[in-house]
Amino acid sequence: MSDDALLSSDEERDLAGVLDEIIPPSEDGRLPGAGELGLTAAIERAMNDTPDLRPAVAQGLAALHELVESRGPGDFASLSREERRGVLNELATLQPAFLPGLIFHVYAHYYQDGRVLEALGLEPRPPHPLGYELETGDLSLLDPVRDRPKLYRR
Amino acid sequence: MSDETVDVLIIGAGAAGAALAWSLAETRMNVLCLEQGDWMDPAQYPSTGMDWEMRQFGDFGLSPNSRGRPEDYPINDSESPIAVSNFNAVGGSTILYAAHFPRFHPGDFQVKTLDGVADDWPIDYALLEPYYDLNARMMGVAGLAGDPAYPDKEVPLPPVPLGVLGETLGRGFNKLGWHWWPSDSAIATEAYEGRAPCINLGPCITGCAQGAKASTDVTYWPSAIRRGVTLRTRCRVREITVGADGLADGVLYYDEHGAEQRQRAEMVVVACNGVGTPRLLLNSRSQLFPEGLANRSGLVGRNLMFHPYAMVTGIFDGRLEGYKGPTGCCIMSQEFYETDLSRGFVRGYTFETLRGLGPVSTALLGMSSGRVPWGAGHHEAYEALFDRTAGMVVICEDLPEPHNRVTLDPDLVDSNGIPAPKIHYRLSENSHRMLEHCVARGSEVLEAAGAVETFADAPLPPAGWHLMGTARMGTDPDASVVNEWGRCHDVRNLFIIDGSIFVTAAAVNPTNTIQALALYIADQIVKNLANLFE
Ligand SMILES: Cc1cc2nc3c(=O)[nH]c(=O)nc-3n(C[C@H](O)[C@H](O)[C@H](O)COP(=O)(O)OP(=O)(O)OC[C@H]3O[C@@H](n4cnc5c(N)ncnc54)[C@H](O)[C@@H]3O)c2cc1C
Repeated sequence: MSDDALLSSDEERDLAGVLDEIIPPSEDGRLPGAGELGLTAAIERAMNDTPDLRPAVAQGLAALHELVESRGPGDFASLSREERRGVLNELATLQPAFLPGLIFHVYAHYYQDGRVLEALGLEPRPPHPLGYELETGDLSLLDPVRDRPKLYRR
Repeated sequence: MSDETVDVLIIGAGAAGAALAWSLAETRMNVLCLEQGDWMDPAQYPSTGMDWEMRQFGDFGLSPNSRGRPEDYPINDSESPIAVSNFNAVGGSTILYAAHFPRFHPGDFQVKTLDGVADDWPIDYALLEPYYDLNARMMGVAGLAGDPAYPDKEVPLPPVPLGVLGETLGRGFNKLGWHWWPSDSAIATEAYEGRAPCINLGPCITGCAQGAKASTDVTYWPSAIRRGVTLRTRCRVREITVGADGLADGVLYYDEHGAEQRQRAEMVVVACNGVGTPRLLLNSRSQLFPEGLANRSGLVGRNLMFHPYAMVTGIFDGRLEGYKGPTGCCIMSQEFYETDLSRGFVRGYTFETLRGLGPVSTALLGMSSGRVPWGAGHHEAYEALFDRTAGMVVICEDLPEPHNRVTLDPDLVDSNGIPAPKIHYRLSENSHRMLEHCVARGSEVLEAAGAVETFADAPLPPAGWHLMGTARMGTDPDASVVNEWGRCHDVRNLFIIDGSIFVTAAAVNPTNTIQALALYIADQIVKNLANLFE
């Protein structure tokens, strides 16, 4: 557990399962799931920095645990795909702040991860210092505009 | 602090303060600028890290209220549909600005004469023209000569690249026979005056790590300081003080340790922007000026103008390379700039096309608009959106209305206990009609360019980045705060040089005009020095 960790290892495992439901691996295997990418640590850091997120996630995971337990032995990851989806749908009603808050941070961290960027065909780096090449473009497209009379009033 | 009395004390080191400081540096006057913010370190700007998109929600956010840097002051904008965006540092809001750098049209200075609304400025385009030219050289403006929407003008650098996105939209404008042109941009498209050339990083509005964007910390300030101006940072001015003779004699300010200090000056120049300036004047109450300094007209804080903005976005089938290139500068259109009453409103607007969205912003747009669901179908939906959006903001002319104003909040204070500004603003019927028109026309041109879907947001809530009109210029002391060269009618050695002095707002970004005015006022100060205090 890192210094920032706010969750027990059971909760981390449940959270990883939820993250994989939010962004599952792509069917062609090109893009990883958000849980498999290890975004739980990033979410825990976000919980530390974002006052509203912390109780929303903590309470959401507690409710999730109860819902899973009520279905019998095993954890969230051991449920079938439909069951996992069913649990999350129930959770959306029981803990309305859980998924929306989480989804924002999951999307944000997933799409800044170098492995995801690479899988999308982008370079896994920040914009600076290399920047990007960009075509000047065809300025002759402006010819019809150049031919117009002055547009402004004096 | 020293007992030294400086010749000129400038408050605020943003766009205007920097230009005036540089200009006055060639005199032998002792010029000091006090700035509440600090120097920025470009190596720490968001574009240097993988979290570059997310930092626009954190320490590089638009609103001082959520950004919460120690140098920020809070602004109560709960009574305005548009929230104030600014930045407090050496360079001021130019640290964040998109560097879209148009001039006013000549007619923008004669709104009353041409259209019978608002007021004419007491100065005109011809008078400011040499200062626009000088500012173009100092800031390093990129653009293309020959735009029929403007008189001929000096543009020292080649235009920002169109890229696939700019070409795609340009074709759309051509299809409709509408005007468009590469945007005048304060961006060094080639190495310029020691600044590295733009490398199309994208996120100009969280600071330019390359130093290609003309924020004044990399343009005017280094030169002004070399020429002898003193810039003292982390100094927040609480009030401007006046002597028994009714002249400004200095300021009281808090230094970086929070200790109160006094600085004496022969002349004071206020450059705190259209919200910071009225706030400071209203906080500067005395027996002579019980309603706030230079406020005998009662107009300090009144006639606040933003530019009501719309954002129109299109989704395209093909990829646009939109995450590359200066985010706010590509092409613009002034097809609907000048008044045509058959459109249902007076005055007009400019389309400014934006680049596309980065990977995170695409996901968040997908989330908020419901286009990119979580769970099944996520990846397909994301890939259908990423690099396929192109948008434009539309900048509508706002007209001055006295009820739109900045006052002092009775409760809210900054970290030094200084009362914070409160914004009272509502959109006029004219603005509502203009926004409706521009959203319809914006969608039309995006569709002409090939968008398969368009959507819009109007007015754009965080778009309070152009702050104007709150200490207006004029020749009548009962109807204006400063005269035709920025001097306060009520206090002969007090000048205002930021967007507060705008009489009307035009339908273009204001910074080029703010700086041209600052350079012009600096010249007037020098010219009138001999009889300034009479
Ligand atoms: C996100 C964003 C995008 C923008 N894009 C564009 C664009 O594309 N084109 C354009 O033309 N404009 C743009 N603008 C607006 C532009 O930044 C401003 O018009 C311009 O910076 C205003 O210049 P100024 O000198 O009046 O004020 P500022 O640049 O805001 O500077 C004022 C300075 O005064 C200081 N100050 C205030 N009060 C005090 C005090 N009491 N004591 C000491 N110091 C004080 C502040 O810290 C600040 O540094 C944008 C702004 C933002 C925020």
